[in-house]
Amino acid sequence: MARRPRRTAEDRLARLLVMLPWLMEQESVPLSEVASRFDLDESEVAADLELVSMCGLPPYVDELIDVFIDEGMVFVGVPRLFTRPLRLNSMEAFELLVAAQSAMELPGADPDGPLGRGLGKLAAALGVDGPAGIGMDVDILGGSHVLVEQVVAATEGAQMIEIQYWNPNREEVSLRRLRPLQVFADRGNWYLVAIDSGPDSESLGELRTFRVDRILEMTTTGETFERPEIELPEPGRWFTQEGIPQVKLRLRPGAMWITERYPMLEVGERDSQGWVPVTLAVVSSDWLERLLLRLGPDAEVVVPLDLRAVIRSAALKILKVYGS
Amino acid sequence: MERLTNLLALLLETRSPLTLVQIAGELAGMYPDGASARRAAFERDKAGLRSIGVPIETEMVLAGSDAGTSRYWIDRGRYELANLDLSPEEQRALQVAVAATRGGSGSAQDGLWKLGVGVAEASSAVIARLPSSPALAILREAVSERATAHFHYRDRERVVEPYGLVLQDGFWYLIGLDRGHGEPRTFRVDRIRSEVTLGDASGFERPDVDLRTILPRDPKQMRIDEAAVDAVVRVRGARSVLVERDLGTQRVLVSGGGTEADPQRWIEVSVPCENREAFRSWVIGLGSDAEVLSPPEVRADLIRWLESICEASAAQGDVPQGAI
Repeated sequence: MARRPRRTAEDRLARLLVMLPWLMEQESVPLSEVASRFDLDESEVAADLELVSMCGLPPYVDELIDVFIDEGMVFVGVPRLFTRPLRLNSMEAFELLVAAQSAMELPGADPDGPLGRGLGKLAAALGVDGPAGIGMDVDILGGSHVLVEQVVAATEGAQMIEIQYWNPNREEVSLRRLRPLQVFADRGNWYLVAIDSGPDSESLGELRTFRVDRILEMTTTGETFERPEIELPEPGRWFTQEGIPQVKLRLRPGAMWITERYPMLEVGERDSQGWVPVTLAVVSSDWLERLLLRLGPDAEVVVPLDLRAVIRSAALKILKVYGS
Repeated sequence: MERLTNLLALLLETRSPLTLVQIAGELAGMYPDGASARRAAFERDKAGLRSIGVPIETEMVLAGSDAGTSRYWIDRGRYELANLDLSPEEQRALQVAVAATRGGSGSAQDGLWKLGVGVAEASSAVIARLPSSPALAILREAVSERATAHFHYRDRERVVEPYGLVLQDGFWYLIGLDRGHGEPRTFRVDRIRSEVTLGDASGFERPDVDLRTILPRDPKQMRIDEAAVDAVVRVRGARSVLVERDLGTQRVLVSGGGTEADPQRWIEVSVPCENREAFRSWVIGLGSDAEVLSPPEVRADLIRWLESICEASAAQGDVPQGAI
């Protein structure tokens, strides 16, 4: 498990205030279960419970909370205080509502099912009346709903799939056999993380990320597969992997939006002529080429310089379509 | 942490508000004896409790020997979470929803704990990555409470009657009436750099508007100053399939190709181009597979754009410095 930063007294108390009401309902529960439920080490749970058992106000010193641990079991006596959790703070309320609303947008969600009802009760407890009162419209699906649903179904069912995939780098369509592992939405696009066997289905293949909107066609092969025990990259984090080539650009104000849209390694100070130097990691040269064409005169390549010729020929290639 | 827990217990248990001297007396030996050290320690604890969401009430004593000092207590009704009566299925649905979203501050899980729901055991096959911003939680409150939001945005102080928050293409937008302009505006939440403060609840009437008429789903339809206008674009090859799916068949004016004489499939589609920049980005993303046919000024605009890229890169010089 990754090393967590040191827990402050406030963090520990906040966790205790959700742990105690639950423990009081259970009366006795294995220490290991408490730890996994509240995402703590057993030693952390034990230390916190021991400490709270020492708390108390005169004349009830040591009697605030009747809690003890014996043979790996946690026992809680007759509750007096901290029987109800604290109300939700505004950040908790917001993130819970967004999570529930986003999940409702995900393929397969049933608005009349338990999620919809749970969201309704949550909203009511926050004093919100009706969906308009929540005041949020979450659009994470974007286009190609049907295809996303198919990809999700295959992923959840661990079904082998074959896709016709448009590769903009090579400007061609290729056939791929995939073991789909995870589907995620990020910045308005849907991605599929899958093991790509290539045309040879015997080899295990490489872990790759595909954009769902570039899949021309998808079919299931009828085979299922065993999900391998591999760690998947955290969605959206592959941009910052090491070993990816870096490019230095300078931007005019009209192009500054890319610093909000894409992860930047460095954003410098505006110079006297109004240019801002930036450094970014480039996963695909094709992506960078299109980005620079879109930015036009508002962006200039600083390093590597030979990229300028590449952009120029890309612009010329499109101009040829217009006969100029 | 012991003192923090005891202070919380004392303020919850007390039947009448307590002054700091009374608090220090009840928690014998826990606070320093000196008045200023005691005050500093207490203020730290009070801030700590408030940071985890504990509502501490304060009142000023107006008469008697304690006149002019503050008294403190916790109102249980404001402290405790109302019982939501979530069924096990509803709890599970919310747990799955939180497991399927990423990118927040982790407050969603803190909220789940308060609702009596533990950490999800399995990771989800579908994940939505959601952008986070510190202003979101308070803006959602503003929408729900119909309170005006006050903040600094693009070099100006704004007073906004917030109608709702929309997540689209990876960005959160606040939509509401900008009082300074007297008309509905859209604000990118991550560009709000100042603190957001709220006016009184029920401070305005929310009109019955669809947020989507103010912020269309398709950025190419976002009007700047131009009238609604559609361009006709011809798209060739495998890309035509993706474009047709993306825009919908009803936007396809004519299709052809796939014959022996003209093997490559092509379509002509009508595409909104009110927002010239978004439209240009979209067409350029299709590279040399797309050609703008009409209206002539939109076609000319794209040609000019590409030519300016060629000229700029020629002026900058294609030859790396130091080479002959």
